[in-house]
Amino acid sequence: MKKKKRPVLKALMILMIVFFYLPILYMIVFSFNDGKSLTAFTGFSLRWYQHMLETGGMLEALYTTFSVAVIASVVSTAVGTFTAIGLSKSKKIIRDLMEQVDNLPMMNPEIVTAIGLMLLFITFRVEKGYMTMLLSHIAFCIPYVILSVMPKIRSLDPDLADAAMDLGATPWQALIKVIIPQIMPGIVSGGLIAFTMSVDDFIISYFVTGGGVKNLSIMVYTMSRRINPSINAASTLMIGIITIVLVTINLVPLLAAKKQKSMKAGKKILIPAAAVCACAAGCILFFRFGDMQGKRPFEGQILHIYNWGEYTGENIIGDFEEYTGAKVIMENYDSNEQMYIKVANEEPYDILVPSDYMIQRLIAEGYLQKLDQSKLNCMDKLSDAVKGLPYDPQNEYSIPYFWGTVGIVYDKNKVDLESLEQEGYNIFLNEKYQGDIYLYDSERDSFMMALKALGYSMNTENPKELSEAYEWLAGCVKTMKPEIVTDEIIDNMAQGRRALGLMYSGDAAYVVSENENMGFYLPKSGTNLWSDAMVIPRNAKNPELAHAFINFACDYEGAYDNSSYVGYTSANQEVMEVLSGPGGDFEGINAYIPRTGYGLDEVFVYNEKTRKEISNMWSRVKIVASNAN
Amino acid sequence: MVIIMKKFSQMAIPYIVWSVLMLVLPMALIAFYSITQQGNSIISFSITLEHYIKFFTDADFLIILWRSLWIAFKTTIICLLIGYPVAYYISHCKERMQNILVFCITMPMWINMLVRTYAWIGLLSKDGLMQKLLSLLGLGNAELLYTEGAVLLGMVYNFLPFMILQINTTLCKMDDSLLEASADLGADPVQTFYRVTLPLSIPGVINGITLVFLPAVSSFFIPKLLGGGKYFLIGNVIENQFITVGEWNFGSAISMIIAVIMMVLMMCVHKAEVRNNGGKGET
Repeated sequence: MKKKKRPVLKALMILMIVFFYLPILYMIVFSFNDGKSLTAFTGFSLRWYQHMLETGGMLEALYTTFSVAVIASVVSTAVGTFTAIGLSKSKKIIRDLMEQVDNLPMMNPEIVTAIGLMLLFITFRVEKGYMTMLLSHIAFCIPYVILSVMPKIRSLDPDLADAAMDLGATPWQALIKVIIPQIMPGIVSGGLIAFTMSVDDFIISYFVTGGGVKNLSIMVYTMSRRINPSINAASTLMIGIITIVLVTINLVPLLAAKKQKSMKAGKKILIPAAAVCACAAGCILFFRFGDMQGKRPFEGQILHIYNWGEYTGENIIGDFEEYTGAKVIMENYDSNEQMYIKVANEEPYDILVPSDYMIQRLIAEGYLQKLDQSKLNCMDKLSDAVKGLPYDPQNEYSIPYFWGTVGIVYDKNKVDLESLEQEGYNIFLNEKYQGDIYLYDSERDSFMMALKALGYSMNTENPKELSEAYEWLAGCVKTMKPEIVTDEIIDNMAQGRRALGLMYSGDAAYVVSENENMGFYLPKSGTNLWSDAMVIPRNAKNPELAHAFINFACDYEGAYDNSSYVGYTSANQEVMEVLSGPGGDFEGINAYIPRTGYGLDEVFVYNEKTRKEISNMWSRVKIVASNAN
Repeated sequence: MVIIMKKFSQMAIPYIVWSVLMLVLPMALIAFYSITQQGNSIISFSITLEHYIKFFTDADFLIILWRSLWIAFKTTIICLLIGYPVAYYISHCKERMQNILVFCITMPMWINMLVRTYAWIGLLSKDGLMQKLLSLLGLGNAELLYTEGAVLLGMVYNFLPFMILQINTTLCKMDDSLLEASADLGADPVQTFYRVTLPLSIPGVINGITLVFLPAVSSFFIPKLLGGGKYFLIGNVIENQFITVGEWNFGSAISMIIAVIMMVLMMCVHKAEVRNNGGKGET
């Protein structure tokens, strides 16, 4: 063929390469950033790598990602190959039928496959975790292997096996020595596809995992709301591993070919496959070494905590692990409702940190166990304001963790306090701030705001008042075009990107301490006085260790670490005083000390009927908001 | 001979059992949940079509369904318009260069999809590299992150490699002598492209379209990460039903709806492919 220069196409090709690699490069660069920002490089540092190593969860996630991928691709390659050979010798009707079944995971949207598997495990009461993730990965990998091996078998001479057996080979020998080597290229590419699919997967893993088992993608998904450059560090590490594996695959055959030119084609491909396995095994060993430690009271035991995202201090988990010898597996949720669904499906956790009304519900529905007061030593350290609240009057089930209010964070340069005082929550309907506000994606707090703005109780059961509140919110999202966000509100408000936002007082404390142009205001029509407390579910596997953790988190050191890092008001009286006192991290910040004793402030009361209504209505508000754009 | 057939065909049995359990049963469960009443236990249930009625009688859900199909369609078209020339270029490089380029395009797929999407947040956010670049080019200071454009970009970024690789495979398989024959018979390169190359690459294009459209319709993490909370697609609605609202029966019904729509669409596409090939065979 004639050679032609195609400058336009070449330019497009180069542009594509830039397009594909720019984000990856950007991430690698920012994993070495000294600051927390994702947009400004302030200096070289290995700080986020250190943070990643210290928090542990990241390495665990990388280990899960790769070990699942290696096991799933090896198993599915073996099973897929044998099945393909078996099917090729089966009756046509079976073969055609299986081809259709095999197409299911490929022709279905991934989320449908994922939900199907999740329902399967839940219906048959299989405990979700590493095994279910592995099984699911094997399930969606095998069809790809079969698809890649099948054509090679079809092009094989059908008499080959017979010839081998005529020459005295057993069927097994014929299979291993004749058929398999002939279809080796198909097997290897099938295995590689399986590995790629497994490493790349998020949706299926997300729905079928449980018990705190996370791969890297689940980790990123649950942490991405708040800027956390450790994700960049972990991703860079992953990219490094993948690059090493790929380079080995591509270099080893080259080197081998130079050494021994007469090598058979089949063996040439075996070498990279072996190299991949060796690399993977190396990685697994590397990650496993972290576990060797000496003897302590809870040595080798496991504590499953299900907590809000970014709700623990930097050191408390590490310190607790060091002190007890136990291993903490932490899973995060971003709403009480999300947590409830998992607990109601009997996923075993040792500690939960739900909010007031949710604790009331969990108690009423029998999901919690009474605390063993003889094992606790923390009641005296807690503020009186958070003890004996209506949801658990004797603190039989719960020990407070953080508490606070919900209020309005505003940019002092754009909003003046006077109009804020006049309008209260109705400032969220003031078209002057159209497109310049954040709502928080929480059904109960959004309805609290709407009900309070209308002058109703936030615990109302009156359908008319509730539907008025719905209209208030629907009107707000239609005309004001707010962004409905979760934790990303924190960093964005701290950088002053919006004039107004509805926020938890703890997040507000962080925002105000970061940016002096921001203020925090509690409307006179009242607010939600909330508290989150530690509870132990009925089906906890290690209540003993859970009690130890509750004590640890209430102690001065633990509570200080939590509160100073997260910014939420500590339930520990002394910590609250020190942090808000002279020289404390939150000195002079009104958001840190919750308003108490104000008549219009309320505590949420659980009511199944209104909860459902509010949940459905809020889901509708979000859809209306999405359709308004 | 018969004995061998039997022996070998037995190897398929474990997988047949497995696939009934892990592939067929889950689908059956979704179908079952979608037509039953709220309540997580299998023992007590009542059959109902209310979830389907709820979905199809609500304009808001239909708008979201339409928007999901529309953005997936746009993604597919963009991927095709960019992917085809790129694949064409690659297939006309020397073999060594071809391997390198294919490797370059495959490599990002080895890095997790979510990680790759996350990487865009920094690039697109306010005062980020992209915005600075745009304002340097005099294109204003528009917000990039949390817009529909960001979601579209994320989808193209994630799914474009599928399109390129599929088309490239068919183009590489194409017999060069066909092109030479076409040229010998007096066709100019443009004619050769439209009359020979393009028709022969249709199977790759169809596969590419399938591999892009399918994940684009149901993606929920791309709209969540790059679209913020205000950009809902059908995948987000399903995730929401299962993870926060807890109405699994309704969520299952939506899953069934999307699965059926996709199956019908895919069947149409493949029918079109078969007809196309049949027509070519006759002329």
